[in-house]
Order: sequence, then structure tokens, then C-alpha cells
Amino acid sequence: MSSLILPGPRRGVRERFAQLHWPLIILLTMIAGVGVITLYSVAEGNWRPWSLRHGLRYLVALSVLIAIGMVAIRHWMTLSYPIYFAALLALAATPFIGEINMGARRWIEFGGMQFQPSEAMKIGLVMALARYYHGLRAEQVSHILYLIPPALMIGAPVGLVFIQPDLGTALLLAATGIIIVFVAGLSWRIGMIGVVGAVAAGYSAYRFEFLKTYQIERILTFLNPDRDPLGQGYHLLQSKIALGSGGLDGKGFMNGTQSQLKFLPEMQTDFIFTIFGEEFGFVGAVGLLILYLAVILTGLSIAMSAKSHFARLAVIGVVATFALYVLINTGMVMGLAPVVGVPLPLVSYGGTVMLTIMAGFGLVMSAHVHRDQDVLRSSDLL
Amino acid sequence: MPVINTHDPERQEVVSRRTFLFGGGVSLLFVGITGRLYQLQIADYDKYQDLAQDNQFNRRVLTPLRGEIIDRFGNVLASNRKNFRILLIPEQSRDINATLDKVSEYIPVSDEKRARIIREIRRRGAFAPVEIKNNLSWPDFSRVNFELPHLAGILPDVGETRDYPLGEASAFVIGYVGAVTDRDLAAQDGNEGRTLLRQPGFKVGRDGLERTYEKELRGQAGKMNVKINAHGRVIEEFTEQATLPVQGKTLTLTIDAELQQAAMKELEGESAAAVVMDTVTGDILVMASTPAFNPNDFNVGIDAGLWKSLTESPYKPLLNKPLSGVYPPGSTFKVVSAIAAQEAGVKTSQTAHCTGKIWYGNRYFHCWKRGGHGTLDMKGAIKHSCDVYFYEIAKKLEIDVLADAARKFGLGQTYELGVPGQKKGIIPDRAWKRQYFAGQPENQSWFQGETLSVIIGQGYVTSTPLQLCVMAARIASGRAVRPRLVRAVGDLVLPEPSAPLIDIDHDYLKVVRAGMNAVTNEYGTASRSRLEDPNWQLAGKTGTSQVYRITTEDRAKGLAKPEDLPWERRDHALFVCYMPYENPRYACSVVVEHGIGGARVAGPKAREIMRAVAAKNPAARIPVDPRNLVQRATTKREG
Repeated sequence: MSSLILPGPRRGVRERFAQLHWPLIILLTMIAGVGVITLYSVAEGNWRPWSLRHGLRYLVALSVLIAIGMVAIRHWMTLSYPIYFAALLALAATPFIGEINMGARRWIEFGGMQFQPSEAMKIGLVMALARYYHGLRAEQVSHILYLIPPALMIGAPVGLVFIQPDLGTALLLAATGIIIVFVAGLSWRIGMIGVVGAVAAGYSAYRFEFLKTYQIERILTFLNPDRDPLGQGYHLLQSKIALGSGGLDGKGFMNGTQSQLKFLPEMQTDFIFTIFGEEFGFVGAVGLLILYLAVILTGLSIAMSAKSHFARLAVIGVVATFALYVLINTGMVMGLAPVVGVPLPLVSYGGTVMLTIMAGFGLVMSAHVHRDQDVLRSSDLL
Repeated sequence: MPVINTHDPERQEVVSRRTFLFGGGVSLLFVGITGRLYQLQIADYDKYQDLAQDNQFNRRVLTPLRGEIIDRFGNVLASNRKNFRILLIPEQSRDINATLDKVSEYIPVSDEKRARIIREIRRRGAFAPVEIKNNLSWPDFSRVNFELPHLAGILPDVGETRDYPLGEASAFVIGYVGAVTDRDLAAQDGNEGRTLLRQPGFKVGRDGLERTYEKELRGQAGKMNVKINAHGRVIEEFTEQATLPVQGKTLTLTIDAELQQAAMKELEGESAAAVVMDTVTGDILVMASTPAFNPNDFNVGIDAGLWKSLTESPYKPLLNKPLSGVYPPGSTFKVVSAIAAQEAGVKTSQTAHCTGKIWYGNRYFHCWKRGGHGTLDMKGAIKHSCDVYFYEIAKKLEIDVLADAARKFGLGQTYELGVPGQKKGIIPDRAWKRQYFAGQPENQSWFQGETLSVIIGQGYVTSTPLQLCVMAARIASGRAVRPRLVRAVGDLVLPEPSAPLIDIDHDYLKVVRAGMNAVTNEYGTASRSRLEDPNWQLAGKTGTSQVYRITTEDRAKGLAKPEDLPWERRDHALFVCYMPYENPRYACSVVVEHGIGGARVAGPKAREIMRAVAAKNPAARIPVDPRNLVQRATTKREG
């Protein structure tokens, strides 16, 4: 393997630590800080049960990020396929050994810890696709034969997650994969055919009852929130009322009446943006959005400056996942996207998602720290 | 394994371009999200602000306390007490049946009750709280409160319910309250009034004074804004801007609760009625009817079994006998017969010889005393209640003169008491008969033989115990005394009804009064009913009205005595009286259905009631001042 790697400057741990992208870490920490204070408010001014743990988890996840970031990107590339296949195996095993939670098998017990294979797959898929395109020449990307492996690589986990059933994650995985394929240079013509095919698939899924009733309900409710004011649409309406009544500068920290009075469900997870927006208003919410956009653009600039193709695509994949989380969650609480249960990264309470995100940014960090390293590709990748 | 340099400018260029595109796309979406935020938080701020207010703030109707009903001395006849109950707000329950199942674990809810709750929910909509159960014990109520986090849509509540401390004793005077019906809602005008009626467990007067004075007793609803959370639980009450409810007006009655209870006790075990009134003011002190229902049972929704037993009992516990029971007055009617006779020119000294029966028309008319009374004058005829003496007068007496006298003394009419269901009774005369037999011309003319029946209070003539009491009061006072039951509404004291002198020669009254005195005090028909206290000399008149005439065949079967007959065929026992004889103040009537003998059954009961009245002498005591009452009620509420 070592023969594949171009000789680059070898640096010590301390040097690499100093090379970390500190502005990015500060941005991520600020976002997690928003999570800590909002969770404190949701708990009516209590560190427990969420706020304190959220902060501690962030610190753990941050050390994971730094650790991953210090490891050379070429090692991650080497591990891409093993990670992907391990995650796929775990996903395939989940229906048999997983824990049922809210009607879906998503978790498996692993060494006393709960572990969600679909989360690992978010990184595994990004790495595997990046690894795959790393080995292709420009003209091969849009060749129909070379499209089959990525289609399978995306299709297999998406299908497994879909049958769990976890529509939100399945869509997120599919979208992330498609973005990577697109950024890798897929021709527009094939892209358009794909879009048409996806629409047809979506329609037939609806027609032939591939979706669970509650999933159809959620989509229909999204299309017409007044349909069922006390069902799904009720939450959306309450979310809009809470956000809207926040106004320009919000009702003030811990003064969000709508959320404090429990008009909203799952305030600590899916609807946390609503609480923040109600208490800190338009100013606060836009501020948070700017933090997110800054992270995304920073990530993209890291991608652009990376020398290895794997690093570029892996970083874009991570950033795409992150951006999709933010856009779907905020769109959802404002009535622009269906209520699919996607958390707001680093702000919503939840350890697994946080760890996934931070591990992903660990890859970004590694790409940054080792931006000058290129990795050879072998022609016999498949 | 050929190794290719990764340097591939074309590939890198595509990725850079596409990354740029991707970054641009994401940025655009962020702008879109920001636009949506702007729309919600800035452009539509007012709209969502209002919606948020609606979410949090709810206008609550504050139910007023119903006005109290008190007796003449301020004793409570009807008031309100705390009622622990649980309500269900359908909108907040995901599954009504599941919620009711859960509640049933702590408080049993019968299937019948459940069906009623669900019907109620359909009728009133998802937002109106529905009462699941009321009158809970404190332990049950607190258990539900404890389990509340698991009972979505359940609202524990402390309401007020009507309380009748006298129970049966006040049933017919006061009436009772009941649940609001659709008809009540339709009759109510004004949205606020209807909202009040829709309050869970709200009750309106269904019978008696509760019904008649509904408007005065109900009071005025208050309003208060409250802050609620998503479960509808009140978080904060804005008491400062609230309009407090105004309790309904207090009704002050003329009744004396103590005497009322004494009378009820005296009549216990009989199907009977008693009325006592003040012969000067017309105040009704006692209006007793047995057996009676307990109005407290009606408040909380009457049990079907109890209702059945009440409606099917031969003793008619739902009949307000003093006002709605009509009975032939029997010999008590002779007091007006004696007046009518004098009006027709009969002298009190005129005598008649009673042999126990006379022949008139085509049959014998019997005196109650088989062997006859011998020769009697008018006073003697009243004292001994001789039928033959009055038959002799009736032979020549014009029925219209008799009917006119009866009406002057208060029979054949109703009075403004405020209690619904009063009966007029019948005072027959020529016009009445023509009308009564409107379809049968051959029966329309009056036969003199019918006068012979009417003059002793039999035949067509009927009256209520109230009318008989009024009759006694008018004989005693010589004035057209009118009874009344309500002394004051709120702080407004009602004027005493006028009592003009009765339009007859007042000398005619002397023989009647003397005769009544003789009945009790000179070994007349009711010497057993004499009151020993010389200050309270009681003058009375017995009556036994025939329900079933014992036929010759009955006699042949050995049915000679009334006791041999089944209960419902036995004669009614009546007694009217007043006291003191010299300076009358109280009049009383007692009717015991199928009591057989006025002297034997009704008289002693009247005597005992009058003994209690004499001992207390309520007319000499200062009654409660209604102008101080409003204060009292308010103070009580706040405390």
C-alpha cells in the first residue's frame, strides 16, 4: 500500500494539531453552544436532562473530530470500503437483531452501547463514493457502465434503511450520494434522466403503497397543513405560530411561551429551531443560519484546496449531509418540507447524530490538515 | 498493476465547477429559508402573534353561585355546596374511549353513563368540557388528580351543586334543579347566556320556586382570561381584569322551616297534606306534603330505579298535594254552606230534626250518624256536622248562592305563589254544569238533588288543601286573605297582598265561628283536637269525604266499616281550623288521603301542628331583614 502514496512532508503531532482548521472548530462549537442554551430553555431553565449532556457529548465528539483530523487522509481512503461494508452488514443485520423503537428497527446493541448503523452509513457511503471516484478518469464518470457501482453503492443502504422504515434517513442518504455523483462530474443529460426516474419512482411508491400510512400522512399534511389541525398538521401549525410570534428580536431567552407551554412536541430534537427562533427572533434565527452557512462554505473551500480527489469528494459529501440536515430540518419546522424527523445538527439533542456529524467533520479536518498530500490511484479499483 | 498519477486537470476542473455550483445552490436555499423566516417572523408577525395569544389565552366563563332560598327567619332551604367532579375535554383526548377506560380504573364509569357522555360530546362539540362524574369523594377525586399526567383530556374541577338541607321537607315548596336541555338553550337569548348554560354541570330550575324564579336565582356570569398550556390546563389566571360573577338573588320565603319539618314529621307515613297560614298577612308558614321526594337526588341526575319507584307509588310522592291535590271538601264545606244559608235568608235559630236520613227526589240522603242527631239549630249542625240539617236547607237553596259564598271564601281559584301546577278545583254552579256537559244537553240543567250533595261538600265540588286553609283563614278574619310564599326577592320586600273585608254581612260569620269552636271545645265532632292552652283556643271543622259509596251488595258481603275497604277506596280525612278563637292569627288545613275519619285522623294531626305553631308563635317574632341578606351571601362566598 505504501507504494501508492506519494512522499510528502512528514509532520509531528504537535505540528499537525496547530494545522487544524481552528475557525471551523470555533464555528462548530458556537453552533453546539446554541444547542446547549436552547436545551437549557426547553427544560425550563434546567441543565438536566438535556443541556449538560449535550455539552459533554459535544466535547467527546470534538475530541473524536480532532483525532480523526490528525490521521492522514490516505489512511481514511484505505479504510473507505471496509467501513462502508461493515456499515452495510450492520444495516442488513438490524432487522434481525435491532431494537424496536417507535415502530422501527434502527438500533442495535454493540458492546453495551446503542448504535445506529444508518448513521455510520452516512459516513461510510460518502467515503466509499469518494474512494470510487478517486479511481476514475474524467471521461469515465458519465459512462453508463461506471454508473452501475455507485448506483448499487447508494441503492443498497437506501433500500435497507427504507425498510426499517426510516424514510428521512433513506432520502438523506440518497440525496447525499446523488450530490457526490453530481459533483464528481456526472453529465447533465444522465442527471436529468435520473430526476425523471426518481419522480416516477416516488409516484409509484405512493400509488403502490410502499410507504407506511404515517409516511403518506406526513407528506399529505405537508401539502395541506389545515387538513388535520390536531394531527400532524397541528405540530406544524404550532411550530409556525411559535416562530412567527417570535418576531424580529424574539421573546427573550426562556420566554418562549408557545414552546414553554408545551404546544410543541419533541422540542429537544426535531423542533428545537422553533424554540430558538421564538426566543431569539428573526435576528437570532438568521444568525444561526449564518453560522451553518459559514460551516458549509468553509467546508467547501477546504474541499477546493485539497489535492487528492478522494479528499475533495469526501469533504463535499460530509458538507452535503450537513447542509441537507440543516435545510430539511429548518424547512420542516417552517412548513417548507414534510415533517420527516430530521434533527438540526449539533443543536438537537441526540448523541449518535452528533457523533456522526463530528466524525464527518473529522474527515474534513483531515483533508485540511493533509491538503497537500495526494494519493495515487490504482487502475484496478474494481 | 499500473499506477496512474492522480493528477487529472480535467477531472479537477469539473469537481471545482460543480462544487461551486453546489455551494451556490446551498447558499440559495439558505436565502430561501431566510426568506421564509422573514415571512413568518416579520411580515406575518401580527397574525402569528394573535394566534399565539389565542393559543395561550382562553376566556373562561365564571359561573355565578345560584341565589339561596331561605325561610322567614333566615334558615337555609336551598344553597350551594362544593362538588368535586371530573370533566373531559374531548379535543384534548386522543381517544375518548381509551381515556374513559383509563378513568374507569379509578372511578367506575358504567356503559350507560359512557353512552351518555359520548352522546353529550356529539351534541356539544369537541371544545366543550363534559362532566364524567360528579359528587366524588375526596379520596377518589385526589386519586384522579394524582393520575392526571396519564389522563389526557381529563380536567378535575370543583364545581358547585345545589344543596337542600331540609331534603324531603322542602321538596314541594322549592322544587329542584336539573340539567340544561336543548329546549332551555333554544329559549335562552344572548350568546353569553347560552355560554353560561353550556358550562359543564350547569343546572336550571326544573320545578317549584327554583323554576319560577330561575331568572332571579341564576345570577350573572363573570368573565376571566386565563393562560393555558397545550393540555388546556390553566397556568395563570388574570384575576385583576376579570368580571366577577354576581350571585343570584336570595329568595326569602314566608315558610317557617322548623314548623315545616314538624308538620312533615306529623304527616309521616300517610299520603297527606297540611297548610298553615297567617290569617292576617296571608304568609304560608307550612306547606307540607307526604310522602315527598328528596330534591338532592334530582340535582345530581336521578337514578332510573328511584325515578320508577317515585312515579309508580300509589302515594304519589311527586304530587304537590297542598296545591295540586284535589279532594271533595266533605263536611269542612259546611262552614261556607252556613254562610250561604244565611245569605238566602235562613235564620241561625232555624232548627231541623235529624232522624239519620231524609227522602228527596227518588232516594234517601243519609246523615253520617245513622241514628240521627235529633233537633239542631245551625250552630249545633256545624258542631255535630249534621248532614240532614244542611239537606233541609239545600232543598230550597239556589246553587249559585252557595257557589258564590264558596268563592268568596277562597275556594275554586288559584293564588300567586310562584309554585307551578296549582289546581283550581271545582265549585259547581249552573254555568259550570252547562259548560261541563257541553255535549250532553239533557244533563245540562241543575237538579236540586245535586245541591244536597254539594252542601255537604260531596258531588262535584272539589278543593285543594291550600284553598281549605284560605277558607279557614277567611272565616277567622272576615277578610279576603290571600296566601303568599315569597316574602322578598333579593333585597326587595314584596308588599303584603291586600285583604279587604269580605263582601257579606259579617254577622253571618258569628254562628260559623261559634260552631267551629264548639266542634273542638264543646264536645263536638272533634273534641279530641282541642288545645288545652286557653291562649290558643282552637276552632275547627272536621270533614270526611266519600271516595267510594258502600253498596248494598258490599254490606251483604259483610263490608260495613270503611276499614274493610282497600286503601284506595277509603274515605279522605280532612280538618280545617284556626286559632286563637278570640283573636285569630293562624289557620290550618290537613288532608289525609284515604284516612277514613276527619275527626279521628286529620284533626289530631292538625292539632299537633297547631300546637307547634302556638309554641313558637312565628307571627310575633321579627323575621329576617332581606336588605341585610345580600351582604351575608357575599361574605359567605369569599370566606
